[in-house]
Amino acid sequence: MTLRELDIAVSAVIRNNVRVGGRRDKAIIFAHGFGCDQNMWRFIEPEFAADFTTVLYDHVGAGRSDLSAYDPIKYSTLHGYADDLIEIARELELKDTVFVGHSVSAMIGVMASIKMPELFSRLILVGPSPRYIDDGEYKGGFTEHHIKELLDFMASNHMGWSEAMAPTIMGNPDKPELGTELTNSFCRTDPEIAKDFARVTFTSDNRADLRKVAVPTLILQCSEDVIAPREVGEYVAREVPKSELIYLKATGHCPNLSAPAEVIAAMRSFL
Amino acid sequence: MNEPPREDLEDLYENAPCGYISLQPDGRIFKANRTFAMWSGYEPHELIGKRFHDLSNIATRIFYETHFAPLLRMQGFFNEVALDLVGKDGRTLPVLVNAAERKDSYGKLLFIRLTVFNATERRNYERELINARAEAEIVSKKLHALNATLEQRISEAVQQRLSTSVELKAAHAESELREQFIAVLGHDLRNPIAAIGAGANLLERQLLDDASANVVSLIKGSVLRASALIDNVLDFARGRLGSGISLNRTTDQSLEATLEQVVNELRAVNPGREIITDYELFRPVSLDHARIAQMVSNLLANALAYGDADVPVRLTAQTLRNAFELWVANAGPKIPDKAMERLFQPFFRGEVRESQQGLGLGLHISREIARAHGGKLMVDSSADETRFTFTMPLQNAAETQK
Repeated sequence: MTLRELDIAVSAVIRNNVRVGGRRDKAIIFAHGFGCDQNMWRFIEPEFAADFTTVLYDHVGAGRSDLSAYDPIKYSTLHGYADDLIEIARELELKDTVFVGHSVSAMIGVMASIKMPELFSRLILVGPSPRYIDDGEYKGGFTEHHIKELLDFMASNHMGWSEAMAPTIMGNPDKPELGTELTNSFCRTDPEIAKDFARVTFTSDNRADLRKVAVPTLILQCSEDVIAPREVGEYVAREVPKSELIYLKATGHCPNLSAPAEVIAAMRSFL
Repeated sequence: MNEPPREDLEDLYENAPCGYISLQPDGRIFKANRTFAMWSGYEPHELIGKRFHDLSNIATRIFYETHFAPLLRMQGFFNEVALDLVGKDGRTLPVLVNAAERKDSYGKLLFIRLTVFNATERRNYERELINARAEAEIVSKKLHALNATLEQRISEAVQQRLSTSVELKAAHAESELREQFIAVLGHDLRNPIAAIGAGANLLERQLLDDASANVVSLIKGSVLRASALIDNVLDFARGRLGSGISLNRTTDQSLEATLEQVVNELRAVNPGREIITDYELFRPVSLDHARIAQMVSNLLANALAYGDADVPVRLTAQTLRNAFELWVANAGPKIPDKAMERLFQPFFRGEVRESQQGLGLGLHISREIARAHGGKLMVDSSADETRFTFTMPLQNAAETQK
């Protein structure tokens, strides 16, 4: 084993492509959801770099993480991802952080805060869902059949997706900060890993964890979010003891991209 | 030259060979062309106000929200995205979509334009490719498994071969040791036997009473038998050890004298048994005399042991036109067919009384001697007579004289 391989094996910071910005006493960790990578926070993170140490990272399998560290068994449950988050916080010697998790990462943060409460002082959950599949009274928004359809679609559609994952590179005068290199990797995922991640994301059930969250929690709920509908956000707010729910005017599932100003304002009011 | 026709832009939009959809920032359709309406099965006005998601299946909805909506926001466009839309009748409409954001001068998103290409055939083709790849993977896995099995089998076979060869080597080593032992034993027995023989010869020259003379005769007989046994054992061991039987051929010795000596020795130790000899030796025969003596001694001893005690044993040696022939015959029971098959095999012994038991090497060694002379030793056995015949080709006179 070379020194570099050894580093990767032991260092969550390298493995998860951790980027640290701002150098303040209090840290804020941003975790991306299913589909993209840490660039999801491109319009949000700079706003907080003046007051916080900002930490961005990619889940293993996404973005520029170390794909060779992908272990299908470890990442067959969200615990694997929660453990990575804890490792990152420890390696950076962070405490009492603010954790901002989008989509599935909301639940990853919930789990990590239960495992290691001292690492987190506040949670901000953007479009959270503790369970995507309907279960009796509980309406997650999807049936088991839907999720199966999604997984089948991903399995039978490698070629279409992988082509789409590497879109043609063109000049992008509107957002010069989005360089060619980034365009290439953004939203690009190994199809096998993407399928695994879809399965673990959409088949997890973290409803029982919500009650155990001890820290003040902000829930940001979008309008017309097909992934995490309004009722699910309200369920999370009911279950998490010290929670606050803010409805955003932003539509869709990614307000951090489509309505960054609204998200920043809501976050500031909470912090 | 004619004026080029003028394009009707309204018609180009409505009936273009691709679908056009315009979405508000919240994802609702506010304009769609007739081509897309036709593909999706809706009337154009029915599409207005619908969300793009309403035209998508679940998988596309999830993927669009988690992958392509963010991509579109980040880049302001995406190209060649494969999506499954759902027509009004519920049928899947596989499409490829390009998208571009339209913004105002401040960068604020005004709306999104989608260009939709019907990709039914292309997606079928892709699916076939994917299926073919999946099948190839299965075949490759099978092949891999087969290879693994083959490797396993080969390694097992090699292992077995190795252990067999180890066993064989062990067996070889063991039998080699045994044969060396026999050879050494035979050698060491010869000297005391020779001493006993010499002693008996000395005694014979003394004036002895009848009883003592009889004892000396018995001693000489036993010495003869013991020597013959030792010779056979040694030859057998030599044959097995690879050195084989070596000959010292001569023509200048009298064959008749050699044969007569053997006959006399056996007569001496088998009093009361008659041995009739007939020598018709008109040409020189190139032989190893000691070896021929050994062979004849073995054959006569067998004839005396197994033959009818009341009928003489006959020995005939003759030179024929091209061959030398020597045979020993005795009367007595026919040798059973089963025994005939194994007669010349080492350690084969017929039914005979205990005191006459040998090692069962006599005939084996005799045949080896015959072979060494370029001849053969055959047996014929009937109810009347059992006859062992040694024949060997005779070299012509000219060669013999050399």
